[in-house]
Amino acid sequence: MDLIANLFANLATGFAVALTPANLGFCFMGALIGTLVGVLPGIAPITTIAILLPFTFTLPPSSSLIMLAGIFYGAQYGGSTTAILVNVPGESSSIVTCLDGHQMAKQGRAGPALAIAAIASFVAGTIATIVIATASAPMTWLALKFNAAEYFSLMVLGLTGSVVLAHGAPEKAVAMVLVGLLLGLVGIDVNSGSPRMTMDLMDLGDGIGFVPIAIGMFGIAELAVTLGKPQDRSLLAVKLRDLWPSWAEIRQCIPAMLRGTTLGSVLGVLPGGGAALSSFAAYALEKKMSKTPEHFGRGAIEGVAAPEAANNAGAQTSFIPLLTLGIPGNAIMALMVGAMMIQGIQPGPQVMINQPDLFWGVITSMWLGNAMLVVLNLPLIGVWVALLRVPFRLLFPAIVLFCCIGTYTANNTVFDIWVMLVFSGLGVFFYKVGAEPAPFVLGFVLGPLMEENFRRAMYISRGNPMTFVERPISAFLLLLTVALFVVLVLPAIRAKREEVFKE
Amino acid sequence: MTLRINTPDLAFAVFLIALGAFSLALASPLAVGTAAAMGPGYVPRGLAILIMVYGAVLGARALFSGRAPMPAIEWRPLFLIFSAVALFAVLLPFAGLALTSFVLVICAGFAAYDVRFRENAIAAVVLAAFAVVLFVMALGLPIQVWPW
Repeated sequence: MDLIANLFANLATGFAVALTPANLGFCFMGALIGTLVGVLPGIAPITTIAILLPFTFTLPPSSSLIMLAGIFYGAQYGGSTTAILVNVPGESSSIVTCLDGHQMAKQGRAGPALAIAAIASFVAGTIATIVIATASAPMTWLALKFNAAEYFSLMVLGLTGSVVLAHGAPEKAVAMVLVGLLLGLVGIDVNSGSPRMTMDLMDLGDGIGFVPIAIGMFGIAELAVTLGKPQDRSLLAVKLRDLWPSWAEIRQCIPAMLRGTTLGSVLGVLPGGGAALSSFAAYALEKKMSKTPEHFGRGAIEGVAAPEAANNAGAQTSFIPLLTLGIPGNAIMALMVGAMMIQGIQPGPQVMINQPDLFWGVITSMWLGNAMLVVLNLPLIGVWVALLRVPFRLLFPAIVLFCCIGTYTANNTVFDIWVMLVFSGLGVFFYKVGAEPAPFVLGFVLGPLMEENFRRAMYISRGNPMTFVERPISAFLLLLTVALFVVLVLPAIRAKREEVFKE
Repeated sequence: MTLRINTPDLAFAVFLIALGAFSLALASPLAVGTAAAMGPGYVPRGLAILIMVYGAVLGARALFSGRAPMPAIEWRPLFLIFSAVALFAVLLPFAGLALTSFVLVICAGFAAYDVRFRENAIAAVVLAAFAVVLFVMALGLPIQVWPW
């Protein structure tokens, strides 16, 4: 009983923050701008967030995070819109939406497809918000039991998860994590105060900027690669008259949404998990459960509802490890860590204890953001369609411009733009050799945290590395890591994994 | 005998070895310390060596893993977009946001194969004005607008 009373008290605290006119406005702006950029074909949610990140820095911390969360949902929803209308998935999480969503659009049912995507996202978002609110307290309690050794092992697990879920060759993803960890160490060492690997550049004293890396790799590099590819952008004419799905269709989708939400909520918490894995898994599950699996891929409405619910639930519950343990589970959450640190917030259990307003404000605003997407985006679908009609040759210079201004304003220095250019080049190189940038970014953010905890744990154990397996929680986490690696190496599962990513 | 080199894999391996070696050189003046009391150089050096070894293994494997050419690079968009960014970095400190934005959009615009001169010029003026209004006037970011 106490738990439920607490939950309501906490949510009330949150709503008090989230419902102030200013924060409502930022949530709205975030959702709107996120959708606006996310709708652009070939621009993944992570790119959208990277580009828009610097523009939230001038806001107070809670408003900034609320706006970012809004951008995140908006970007994801925008990606689904493009997937359905143009059949260009912004990123892996909307690939599955393409399968049936675009088929529906071809059959003239784009309206119901878009509407069910929004409804499924909202339902999932509502349930996931409650999951986060309930799971956070026990997780925070657990987090307080963590010491340096446990934190280190947890990060090892998280990075391994990101390797398992990377799209390219896992052996390259391992290398990318290592490179990220190494580059994360550039800058002044907190323990000794000596500058490390800075090449005597004063500007690198605080380390390589996170914003230029993210914008370079996900913004500029992506654009340069996308422009080189022939573009198939056959936009379907949407009849906006029949926007709403029939009641029968909605009823048909309810179990699919609930299954998708459950699956997504669980998978989202896993290290390396999140939206993409959730949507694949939900689609596969739905196809198995269906009495008419032959409809899948030919415009089955459940085939849109389930993955959309799952990816939204997964996206949202992937905030749990970030908010409670301070460990980002995937690259998007790594961006969130970057944003929090720039605001002077060290993510982790202290946030919930010391800044309950901020913590609960962000959680409740997630739900508000989802609600706004439904209310806003369905009537605005016409606007998004119009935006999709604007030729890409007019849109991308604007994106390049915003990338540059964004990078500059994060620190008001031109140096960061050069850094961004270097990482754009690296990003293109990584793309060409088939190495994913996401594990790199995760490694980069975790690098300094991992080193600090590693050094501390080894100091406490007087240089005995056995401390990582002697402490039970740490040993358990490392055991999970080993299990993940075994899974990765086993040929049967590996073949299956390749099959899943190919689809 | 035909070569069975996987070029992308080999290129990535060479990159890893080079990065590892470079970082090792940069980290060499840093104190290593002991396992119980690590100096600032301990972890960077360990990682750099690990990356080099890992790169060497990947590289050796790439030599025999079957022929795969490097994917083609589209130089025009790559060069023009990167130039646009570089121009922004060079011009912004003295030319101000308005002119810099204009130049960036003109330059980046030519990255598209279907660029149209007039359209691009109009887009450049509109975007430059938009950037000034949004970032300097509305958001109040401290950026110089004009060269004077």
